Amino acid sequence: MLVPITYTLRSLFVRRSATFLTVLGIGATVAVLAGVLALRAGFTTLFVQNGRDDVAVFLRQGATSEGESGITRETCDRLIKTLPQIAKAGGPEGAPLAAMECYLAVRRNKLDGGGETNVPIRGVEAASLAIRGDALRFVEGRALQFGSDEVVVGRKLVDRIESCRLGDVVQLNTTPFRVVGIFECDGPFESEIWGDFERMLVALQRPVANRVVAKLVPEAQGDGFEPFATMLAEGDAYQDLKVIAKTERAYLAEMTGALGTTLLVLSLALSVIMGLAATFTATNTMLSAVASRTHEIGILLSLGFRPFPIFLSFLFEALVLGLLGGAVGCLLALPINGIETGTTNFATFTEVAFAFRVTPPVLAGAITFALVLGLLGGAVPAWRAARLAPTEALRRR
Amino acid sequence: MVSFKLVRRYLGKHKVRSILTIGSLVVALFLLCMLRSLVVALDAGVRGAKRDRLVVQSAVSLFVDLPQSYQSKIAAVEGIETICKWQWFGGRHPTEEAFFAQFAVDMSELPKLYPEIAIVEGSFADVAAERRGCVVGRTLAKTFNWQLGQTVPLLGTIFPGPPGDGWQFTIKAIYEPTSSAVDGNTLFFHWDYFEETVESTMGMTPGTGTYFLRTAPDADQVAIAGAVEQLFDNGPQRVTCSTEAEFQAQFVSMVGNVPFFVAAIGGGVLIAIVLACINTMLMAFREQLHDAGILKAVGFTDGSVAGLMLAESLLLCGLGGFGGIALAKLSEPGLRAALGSMFPGYEVTGETLLLASALTLAVGLVAGVVPALRARALRVVEALRSVE
Amino acid sequence: MSEPMIAARRVFKRYQRGGETLTVLDGLDLEMEEGRFYALMGPSGSGKTTLLNLIGGLDQADEGELVVAGANLADLGSADLARWRAANVGFVFQGFNLIPVLTALENVELPLTLTPLSKKERRDHARFALKLVGLEGREDHRPQQLSGGQEQRVAIARAIASDPKVLLADEPTGDLDRKSASDVLDLLARLNEEFKKTILMVTHDPFAAARASLVVHLDKGQLGRIERNAAPAAPAARS
Repeated sequence: MLVPITYTLRSLFVRRSATFLTVLGIGATVAVLAGVLALRAGFTTLFVQNGRDDVAVFLRQGATSEGESGITRETCDRLIKTLPQIAKAGGPEGAPLAAMECYLAVRRNKLDGGGETNVPIRGVEAASLAIRGDALRFVEGRALQFGSDEVVVGRKLVDRIESCRLGDVVQLNTTPFRVVGIFECDGPFESEIWGDFERMLVALQRPVANRVVAKLVPEAQGDGFEPFATMLAEGDAYQDLKVIAKTERAYLAEMTGALGTTLLVLSLALSVIMGLAATFTATNTMLSAVASRTHEIGILLSLGFRPFPIFLSFLFEALVLGLLGGAVGCLLALPINGIETGTTNFATFTEVAFAFRVTPPVLAGAITFALVLGLLGGAVPAWRAARLAPTEALRRR
Repeated sequence: MVSFKLVRRYLGKHKVRSILTIGSLVVALFLLCMLRSLVVALDAGVRGAKRDRLVVQSAVSLFVDLPQSYQSKIAAVEGIETICKWQWFGGRHPTEEAFFAQFAVDMSELPKLYPEIAIVEGSFADVAAERRGCVVGRTLAKTFNWQLGQTVPLLGTIFPGPPGDGWQFTIKAIYEPTSSAVDGNTLFFHWDYFEETVESTMGMTPGTGTYFLRTAPDADQVAIAGAVEQLFDNGPQRVTCSTEAEFQAQFVSMVGNVPFFVAAIGGGVLIAIVLACINTMLMAFREQLHDAGILKAVGFTDGSVAGLMLAESLLLCGLGGFGGIALAKLSEPGLRAALGSMFPGYEVTGETLLLASALTLAVGLVAGVVPALRARALRVVEALRSVE
Repeated sequence: MSEPMIAARRVFKRYQRGGETLTVLDGLDLEMEEGRFYALMGPSGSGKTTLLNLIGGLDQADEGELVVAGANLADLGSADLARWRAANVGFVFQGFNLIPVLTALENVELPLTLTPLSKKERRDHARFALKLVGLEGREDHRPQQLSGGQEQRVAIARAIASDPKVLLADEPTGDLDRKSASDVLDLLARLNEEFKKTILMVTHDPFAAARASLVVHLDKGQLGRIERNAAPAAPAARS
C-alpha cells in the first residue's frame, strides 16, 4: 500500500519556507548549469549546423585551421582547374565553383570599450559568393565589387566592432577600405569582414592564399567524400601538393572542438561541485522533514504501512523538490535564450559572436540534473524514515 | 562563556545537518576562490609586466610577422638597450595531447630581456653551445617528465620541420620564473636554428612575430614607443609599440566576456549557498525557539538571544567558509600543475583570500539575520508555549 | 508595614482570539508580602498563568500598575526588564524548561552568566545550588539523563542560583509523580522558610496548595477569596 501522494505534497506546502529555499537553491544551481550548456549549444550550433556537407575546404597538410594554412597560387590553380570533383557553374562547361580565400585576424577595437579583439578578414573571389548562393543575403548596401577597395561586413560585427557600419572606412595596414554592404549568412561568417581576395593579398601583405573552398559534385558528397579526400592526400596525382580536404561541416566542427570540450568539461565540473552543495541542502531539508514528521511516520507504521512505501513517499517528496528546483532553474535560464555574446575561439584566436540557445536538450539536461539532485538528497533521509521503529517514532513528538 | 558553549552545543546537536551545511560551504567557497583565481590567472602577464619592456608587433594583426630588416632600424632608436626577436612557433608534441607554448628567440638576448627567467638546471651557456638547444620551464618539464639533455620532437603546424626527423630540440636548461611575467610552461629555442630550418624547408626567410625591447631604466618609454611606430608609418607593415602590460592586456581583452560568465557562475554559486545557509539557520531557529524563550525568561535580553543566533550562523558559515578557503589555498599547487597549459598564472592571491573571507562573513550575517531578528522579536510567553 | 513584594493595581490583560477580545485579567488588585509562600488557584482560564507571567515580566499588562520587588514593570524597557528578571525573579515551569544541550550544572550557571561574578564564583554558586536541591553528583548530566523530579529540581536550582527575591512557579508539580512532587514542594517550602524567598506558585493541586502559607483564588480575572493556612502541611503529614 502506498502512502497517498497528497501527504507528500501537503508536507512540502506545510514546510513551505524550507521548500522554497531549497527549491531556489537547486534552481540557482540548475540555472548555472543550464547557462553553460546554453552557451555551448549556441556556440556549436553556430558552427556545426551551419557547416555544409557539399562544400570542401582545402588546407595545407599539417595545418589545423585556415589561419595556419597557406597554399601557393600554383597549387590553388591546379586544384581548381583539374579536380573533377569540383562542381561547375551552369553545367559541365562552366567555370569551377571554387575560390581561393585568404584569411587574417586583424586587430579591431570593440565598441563597448573592452579593448582590442581579433576580427577575421576574408579575401574572397566571386566563386566564394556563388558557393554561398541564397544563404548570403545583403541586408544593407550592396554586394562587393571585385577589383576595388571595398569590403562587406557580417551583420554581427556592426554593433560590436568599431567602423563596421555602412559607409565607414576600415583601415587595413596602409590601405583604407570602404564598407559598402552588411550581410547575413548563418554561421561564423557573420562575424567576418569580406573583401576582394587580390586586394586583400596586397593590402595585408599576404604571400599566399590560406585555403581553397569548392562546391562538390554530388558524387563527391556524402559517402563519396572519403575516397576523394584520400585520393587527394595519398593518390599519385595530387600527393605532391601536400593538400588535404575536409567538408566544411567537419572543418567547422574541428574549430569548435576545443572550446566545446572546454565548456562541456566546465559544465560537468560545475555540476559535480555545485551539485554536491545542492544535494547537501536537499538532504538537510529532507532530514528536517523526516524529523518533523516522525510522529506521523509512527502512526503510519502502526496503521500497517510497510517501511518501503514510506521510503518511497519521502523519496518522492525529494524528487518533487528536485523537479520544482529544476523548473525554477529552467525559468531562470530561459531569459538568456537569444542573448548575443562574443568570445574568442582559441582554435582560431578570433572573436565569434553567437547567441545563447536554451534548447530542449539543454532543458532536459537541466531537469534531469535537478531530479538527480533531489534523488541523491532524498535517499538518506528517506532511508532513515523507513527504518524508524514504530514505538520509538510514536513516542517522539 | 556559556553562550559560546551554547552555540557549539547547538551545532553539535544536529551533527548531520551542521556537517552537510559546512560541507556545502566548503564546496562553494572553494569554487568561488577557484573561479576568481582563474580570472586572476588571465591577468598574470599584465601583473608581472615591467615598465622598461616594450613590445613591437604588427599594427594590422596578431598573426602578421614583421620583416627581420626592421631589427636594425628599431635598435637604432635611442634608449633601447636590448632587442630580441620573438616568434610564436605553434608546434605540437607528436604523442602528448597537452598544448604548450614555444618561441624562437635570440637566445643571447633572452636573459637580458627577462632576468625573471631563473635557470635552475643547466645554463644559458649550455644552450648557446648547442644549435638545437632549448630552455624549458620547470612546470613543463614536470608535466612531461622531461630531463636535462633529453630530446623533444615537435610537429610544426605553421612551420613544417626539416625532412626526416622533423623539429628536434635538446633540453639544455630548465628555468623557474621568479615573477608572473614569465610562464613556467614555455619552451624557448634558438632563432638561428629556426631561421635556417625554415629557409631550407619553406624557401623563405621567416619574419618575427614581435620584437621585445628593453629600454634603459630611466628612458622615456612613451617617446621610444612613438619613435618606433613612426619608423614604419608608411609601411610596408605598420607596427604598434606597446608596453609589456598593454601587450599582455590584449590577450586578456581577447577572452572577452569570459570574466563576466565566470562572475555569473560565481553569483549562482553564492545565491545557492546563501539560500542553503538561511535554510539551515531557519531550521535551527525553529528548534531553538523554545530554548530562546527560556533564555529570555532567565533574564537574557532580546539582543543577546539574537546575538546567539547570529553567532551560531557566523560560526557555522565561518567553519565552512574557511574550510573552503583553506582547501582552495592547499589545492593551489596541484591545480596550477593541472591547469598549467590553459591558466599558467593560476594563483590564489591574498586578495582572493580576503574577498572570500568577506563573502563568508557576509553569508554568515545574511543567513543569521532573519533568525536573529525573529529571535529578538520572540515573545517569551509564546515561545514557552510552543513545543519543539 | 513594609512595602509589599508584589503589588497589582487594577491590572487588565486582554487577548485577541479569532477576532474576539478575551479579558483574562479584569482589573485585578492584589498585594503579596515579602517572605510568604503563596499558592495561586483557580479554574482553567481564570488568569493564573497570565498573572504569573505579568509578575515575572514575561508579558506586559494592558492597563494598571504592577510593582514587583520595588520596580514598576511598566516603566522598564525590554532590555531593562530582562536585566530586572535576571536579578529579581526565578522561574520554575511545569515543563521544567531546561536547555537540553546544557548539563545540569551549566543550566544552573546560565542566569549567573548575566551577573558580574567570576567564572569560578559562578561555578561555586551553581554547585551550591545543585547541592541545595539534593543533586550533588549529577552536575554533568544532561536533562534527558535525569528523571522528571530531578529535572524540576535542577530548574529550581537555576531559579535560585542568582539569589532572586521572588520565585515564580507555574504548576511545578503538574508533570511529576506524587513522590517527586512532594520532594519539589518540600524544597520550595524550605526555600521559603530558610532563605525567606517570596514564592508564588500556580497550582491545581490542593495537596500542593496546602503547602503554601496563603492560598489566593482567582476567578474570571479577578481576585477571589484568600485562605490562610494556619499551619502549612508539614512534610510528615502527607504521603
